[in-house]
Amino acid sequence: MRLDPESRAVRWAIFAASVLVGAAFWQFGARHVNPAVAVPLTATIERLVELTKSGELLGALWSSLVLFGTGLGLAIVAALPLGLVLARARRLRIAFTDYITLLYALPTVALIPFILSLFGIDFSAKVLVVFLFAFFAVLYNTVEGARSIRPELIEVARSFRSPEWALWRDVLIPATLPYAMTGIRQAIGRALVGMVAAQFFLAASGIGELIMNSARDFDTGALLGSVLIIALLGVVLMRLGTALENRFTAWRGLGR
Amino acid sequence: MSDAADARPDTPKSRLARLFDSPAALKIAGGLFILVAWELVVQWTAPAYVAKPSNMIPILYATLTSREMLEACGTTLWAVIEGLLISLAAGVIFGLAMGQNRFVDRFLQIYVNGLYAMPMIAILPLLTIWFGYSSSARLATIVFAAFFPIAIQVRDGARAAPREYMEVARAYRARWHHIWFGITLPAAMPYLVAGLQLAVGRALVGAVVAEFFISIDGLGFYILFNSRTFHHNKAMIAVLLFAAFAVGVQWLMDFAMRRFLPWYRAGERH
Repeated sequence: MRLDPESRAVRWAIFAASVLVGAAFWQFGARHVNPAVAVPLTATIERLVELTKSGELLGALWSSLVLFGTGLGLAIVAALPLGLVLARARRLRIAFTDYITLLYALPTVALIPFILSLFGIDFSAKVLVVFLFAFFAVLYNTVEGARSIRPELIEVARSFRSPEWALWRDVLIPATLPYAMTGIRQAIGRALVGMVAAQFFLAASGIGELIMNSARDFDTGALLGSVLIIALLGVVLMRLGTALENRFTAWRGLGR
Repeated sequence: MSDAADARPDTPKSRLARLFDSPAALKIAGGLFILVAWELVVQWTAPAYVAKPSNMIPILYATLTSREMLEACGTTLWAVIEGLLISLAAGVIFGLAMGQNRFVDRFLQIYVNGLYAMPMIAILPLLTIWFGYSSSARLATIVFAAFFPIAIQVRDGARAAPREYMEVARAYRARWHHIWFGITLPAAMPYLVAGLQLAVGRALVGAVVAEFFISIDGLGFYILFNSRTFHHNKAMIAVLLFAAFAVGVQWLMDFAMRRFLPWYRAGERH
């Protein structure tokens, strides 16, 4: 009998096998190594439970998410209108697109030492780091969306004497938004990196501090646990971003 | 703008306005605007050591050709290339296996997707414990950063290979390695390039972060050291060099796509 890899039962069976093999590998693989290098899964979970009970983990998660949300939110609020203006003003767009691409390609993490010496290590400096990680992803993709608008659409709107606000409402924003959502999805991933980087290299706080301290103390259970938590956080946020993007891709074909 | 549009008699344009119809002029103007704005903002608001164009341009050549800069560039680039080659080999094999076989795909899915979504920087302290404060920790960071986008893209590409090709191959009893490397991999090429473009960006970030964290020689450490010792101008030149690398590699890959795989239209990924 051939197994159908798409049937629900087989899918769940493979998923369960995958989790079990991974867990077993972690559990038994870590048993025979120095506990400073790795500890078994059960020990990691025990440590996570302890950290949750003491409130450390939740506190760290909360302060991390506040940082993440503030930086990402500010970046979106700043980049979307700017991108839309560049969508409308063709000359400005031609003048600045290449530089936006350059800044988008720039490894933002390389700017952290400058931020450190200019703005210090407190919360606002960390928000700036997250902001910079996210800002250019949103801006770059919004401008890409602007470039995808067929000029005919704007010409038709104009020849029907569409007022400026209607042009924005009916052409520019609907055509640019799907691309902006791609930008926001990318920005979510980047802002998460920025969040951890800021917590590592500026004043240690949140989940970054938890990782740093447990690495320093060779508290491998807490270290592996917090890495696990941040991986879960990454998956949840990525899912959220993809859902957001798919919600808006329905009319993406419009401009093509 | 076409010539016909320019020649329209009913829209008289001043010479200056016509100059700004050319994209090149607009781009140069945009660049100058950014430089002037940067210069003025720093002069008015920031301490004297902060990088500004008027201090960077005179030392640009000397800095770029200085021995420490060349050595730093060489070390980091070599690590990035090494890491990318490892990721490329591993990513192609894992990607093809996942694309060809649904069981393998479902089995590895949670790990590949989970580790891809994880901010790679978070694993750095762990890597320093496993690999020590050494250049192997940097290499591991780069591989960790670059492997997943390549594997995921190759998987998607392998799955997008035309079904008819597979059926013909199977009808003629093609061996598995002929199918994998003769049909699926070429079909996944545009995806592979897209994955590689993502991977290069992530690998550069990984290298910088690892050098910051581990304090080993390289361009990232050059930036860290010079900005700590208030040589912001030199450090900023290194940052811009990094951006130039990233953009240069993107451009090179787009060019290679057009030159060697012209039948895939740029940016077309179904």
